[in-house]
Amino acid sequence: MEGIILALFICLLLALVSKYLTIPAIPFYIIAGVILGKTGLGIVAPDQISSFFSDMGLIFLLFFVGLGLKVDKISENRSELLTSGIIDLNVNMIIGFVAAYLLGFSLVESLIVAAAFYISSTAMAVTSLIENRKLMMRESEPIIWLMVFEDLVLIIVLALLSAGNENLLFFVAKILLGLALLYALAHYGKEFLVSILERDDELPVLFTFIAVVVTASFALSLGVPDTLMVIALGAAFATTDPDAFEQQARPFKDVFMVIFFVFFGITTDLSGSVSLSVIAIICTLAVVSKLISGVLTGLALNGSARSGLEIWANTIGRGEFSIALAALYGSPAVAATIAIMVIVTSLVGSFAAKYSISLSRRFSGSGRRHGPPFHRARAGH
Amino acid sequence: MFPMALRSLNLPGVGTKYEFETDKGDTVAIFFTKKGSIQMYTLQKGCQTSSAAEMTPVEARRLGNILTGAIIEADQESVEIAFSALADLRITVHTYIIPHTIARKTIEDLRIRAKTGATVIAVCRQDKNIINPPPSFVFETGDAVLVIGETDQLKLFEREIMVD
Repeated sequence: MEGIILALFICLLLALVSKYLTIPAIPFYIIAGVILGKTGLGIVAPDQISSFFSDMGLIFLLFFVGLGLKVDKISENRSELLTSGIIDLNVNMIIGFVAAYLLGFSLVESLIVAAAFYISSTAMAVTSLIENRKLMMRESEPIIWLMVFEDLVLIIVLALLSAGNENLLFFVAKILLGLALLYALAHYGKEFLVSILERDDELPVLFTFIAVVVTASFALSLGVPDTLMVIALGAAFATTDPDAFEQQARPFKDVFMVIFFVFFGITTDLSGSVSLSVIAIICTLAVVSKLISGVLTGLALNGSARSGLEIWANTIGRGEFSIALAALYGSPAVAATIAIMVIVTSLVGSFAAKYSISLSRRFSGSGRRHGPPFHRARAGH
Repeated sequence: MFPMALRSLNLPGVGTKYEFETDKGDTVAIFFTKKGSIQMYTLQKGCQTSSAAEMTPVEARRLGNILTGAIIEADQESVEIAFSALADLRITVHTYIIPHTIARKTIEDLRIRAKTGATVIAVCRQDKNIINPPPSFVFETGDAVLVIGETDQLKLFEREIMVD
């Protein structure tokens, strides 16, 4: 128990430092965990309590993913969403997968590394756009929609990985049944849900917490992955009053996620499971492959490589979702690789996003010579 | 009715965006972020980079008051509304800060309506709003009061009540 408290206290200090420097806090939490845990000093070891809180962090993160999925919102911007989403998915998944496989990871491990390699941190991208006052750039909306697309892919990846060896048809049927049940509850119980959320006593927060936790444990007892059912719960609740649910669930997410990150660092063994050169190659490629997909997206959407550079700068950081995949399905070697990739890309990304404007100015001096924009067909691979 | 088209858009994870282009071709965009802050961007016609200001909700409301043409004098603000349908009735809403001279007196004691014709419609005390205070309401130093009336009635209020 003292371990968690020590870890949390250090995280608080690091959070203060990271906010002061306006750098994402996630890499700091992981580094703190690495230093406190197995790889480093070995002061803090995971126990039942910490793993319960870590699970809660993951579950609340995924509940938020669900809350962000409003079906009518997604359909409005379909063509832009699809173009940028498909470029991003193909370029990064393929580079990530091929690199991991060639570097000696097994087929399943390579798939997990590729997924973690592909998915940028939504939290970092959004924070970067707001804090660097970039919301009005023409690239900001494509970036935001790109994050939504990546969330959708994440759900598919989670479903595929959690299906494992089960009969796929039976598995999909179970999930659809759960989804239908939750949607029906949200639909027919909408007035009840809204009346609960409007109260000013402890009921809204109590209800939100218990709804999420009960859904997760109920899913497990039915043999359906809790991760998927919690996303489904969020998506179902999003049809009522997503902002109110976000407000109620945010404190849980914020605290539990910190525990999740720091204990991910504590349990990850960085010494010896993967060679340093493998990790260095993955990290470099993680930055480069987002540059390729960013530039291709910029050319496809705005006919400008410079615009692609801006997309790149804000999407380099891998974060919460990559760690989630590593924590759920990663072998020790995969977890170590992803941990360092997140630390490196999130720091590189935060500096790139801060200095992207001066960077792209230098770039455009030579970039103008490219002449007319590349056409869309080129980006459609 | 509006010369410009106002576009609004919900951005997942970020908040709500409002954007419009002015007659002269400049663009103004406002973002209400989920974190509660409000960012305003302006982009001059023909320019590549916008400039931005981040505001708290209170600052944003203040900016809104300035833009609608209300006058702001330090911490006292007033808005005049003209109703052309009612024979050009001009109603002013003005805020005042209660000085210590009239603290601990009630609205009844001060005979505000009888003396001036103006009405106290709200009092703000330590970030709490009291709407339509009863005649027995006791003022305290530092209360912000919202008074409604015609311009002349408010002048009377300033002369008769505020210096009492």
